[in-house]
Amino acid sequence: MNGAARPTQAAVRRDIGFFEWFFSADTWWGNNGILESLRETVVLCAAVTLVAVVLSVPVASVLAHLRRAELSTTWLVSISRAVPTFAIAALLVPWSLRSGRGFEPIPIFTALLLLALVPIYLNTYTAIRQVPEGAVDAARALGETELSILTRVELALAASLVFAGVRVAAIQVVATEPIRAFLGGDGLGRYVRDGIGQSNNTLVVGGIVLIGGLAALTGLAFVVLERLVLPNGVRRLARQQGKRTT
Amino acid sequence: MNPHSTRRRAGLRLLVPILTLGLVAAACGGDDSDADTTEVPAETTAPPAETTAPPAEGPTIRVRGQDFSEAITIAEVYGQYLDAKGYDVEILTPAGFRTEAIDGIRNADLDLIIDYIGGSLTALAPDGESLSDADEIMAVIGPLYAEIGGTLLDYAPAIDGDAFVVRGDSEASTISDVADLDYVFGASAQCFERPQCFLGYTDPDVYGIEFSDTVTLEFGPLLGEALQAGEVDAVVWNDTAPQIDEFGFKVLEDDLGLHPAQNIAPIVRTEVLEAYGDQLRADLDALSAMITTEDLLAWNVETDLEFRESAAVATEWLEANDLI
Repeated sequence: MNGAARPTQAAVRRDIGFFEWFFSADTWWGNNGILESLRETVVLCAAVTLVAVVLSVPVASVLAHLRRAELSTTWLVSISRAVPTFAIAALLVPWSLRSGRGFEPIPIFTALLLLALVPIYLNTYTAIRQVPEGAVDAARALGETELSILTRVELALAASLVFAGVRVAAIQVVATEPIRAFLGGDGLGRYVRDGIGQSNNTLVVGGIVLIGGLAALTGLAFVVLERLVLPNGVRRLARQQGKRTT
Repeated sequence: MNPHSTRRRAGLRLLVPILTLGLVAAACGGDDSDADTTEVPAETTAPPAETTAPPAEGPTIRVRGQDFSEAITIAEVYGQYLDAKGYDVEILTPAGFRTEAIDGIRNADLDLIIDYIGGSLTALAPDGESLSDADEIMAVIGPLYAEIGGTLLDYAPAIDGDAFVVRGDSEASTISDVADLDYVFGASAQCFERPQCFLGYTDPDVYGIEFSDTVTLEFGPLLGEALQAGEVDAVVWNDTAPQIDEFGFKVLEDDLGLHPAQNIAPIVRTEVLEAYGDQLRADLDALSAMITTEDLLAWNVETDLEFRESAAVATEWLEANDLI
């Protein structure tokens, strides 16, 4: 909202070809360019995923370790997914505006967070439950504390599945974040929104390509990250477990 | 502002009440026409004093409103009025938007539609120049309607066009005044590509306003929420949005005449008009001349804020104006 910034919200011609649009410099740079929209989307999605991990992983780990609340929390988390993300965000927007908090970020952040919690929570809980009893018993016999068992045995052995949950959550968040453009925000969804509003199919297709591309890249990034972060032994173990469980 | 895609959202939001309403309207329509078949002979033998002349025998006039509350009420007003005049009228369940209404005339599925003339212009001549004067628009769309078998009748004083809306405490009274105010501008995606909207506001040859920022919003109540919350300082809405008054907003004068005239005007299928002769034209013109922008606004307040049914609102207005 600084006075100096001249809005560059120029309409895109309806008959523009996809490649002409996609490879034009104006499409990428500036206040309404793809790079700025991409930045907005990536920042929001990263924040949502991070908060979802911070909230889900400790709670799921502790509860799974204690073998507590399996049915109730799993059920609670799963039904939160049954409420459409768009409906949650759309319901929160008028409240957020009236209480002086603006269009963003509370409504869209809350809606995406509820979406992201589910796969991370469920994967973490299941992964820890499936850690071989023998490994836990052996650690206990060696005098490890419960905290040490949870972090150094259970979470270590569950790491690959937890990671998979985070990856699924991140991809879902990236693919859903474009609803933000329909609720007073921008981000990559702006191309779909403007394209629909202006009957401009090039923009709609462009938006789909960008959103799909970012979601695919997110998945890829997590695969690479997993290779870098997790020791080979843990990954091999996960592959063996995967044959049995997933 | 009546591009049908913007209305579609309002329509979707109101889908459930409208569907209910549509069923009720259809049921009422059925009852009315049943009643007519028994009443019409009685009227022809002893016409009421206020009726100028009994209408000639003719085909059933099928009228259908576009699927958003204002258009539904307008269709009910025209339909119930003709019905009371003794014409054989069928008020169909509201469906579709401008495209479907125009197709209805073209395909002879509908005999009477009511549209906003500026909207008709963009639909019938999408590549034509934009006009802001009502009579100029009529001169262009009249022949275009004739080509598809419709006759455009005189427009009503009632206008529901683009409205440049600001909060009540704004210093501006015309759109030109906004040039120095460094406002944040909010509108639907359509507005940003139209010369009669954002492009015209920012064009140095027209208003030449430099907004400090722009926000794209869904057309509808969200515009009011955003304006009220101070997220934006000006929005493009439509003249008869009842929330404008409710929130104490004000509509700025379009001092350079950028917005196209959006008077409402009835379009009758030419075949039907000829079958009834000049009486139908005279009756419709007499009704159109009575409908003002204030009436549209009052109807919208009743249907959108008080959730009353369009059919009842229409009957009440017709009775209050001694038209039925």
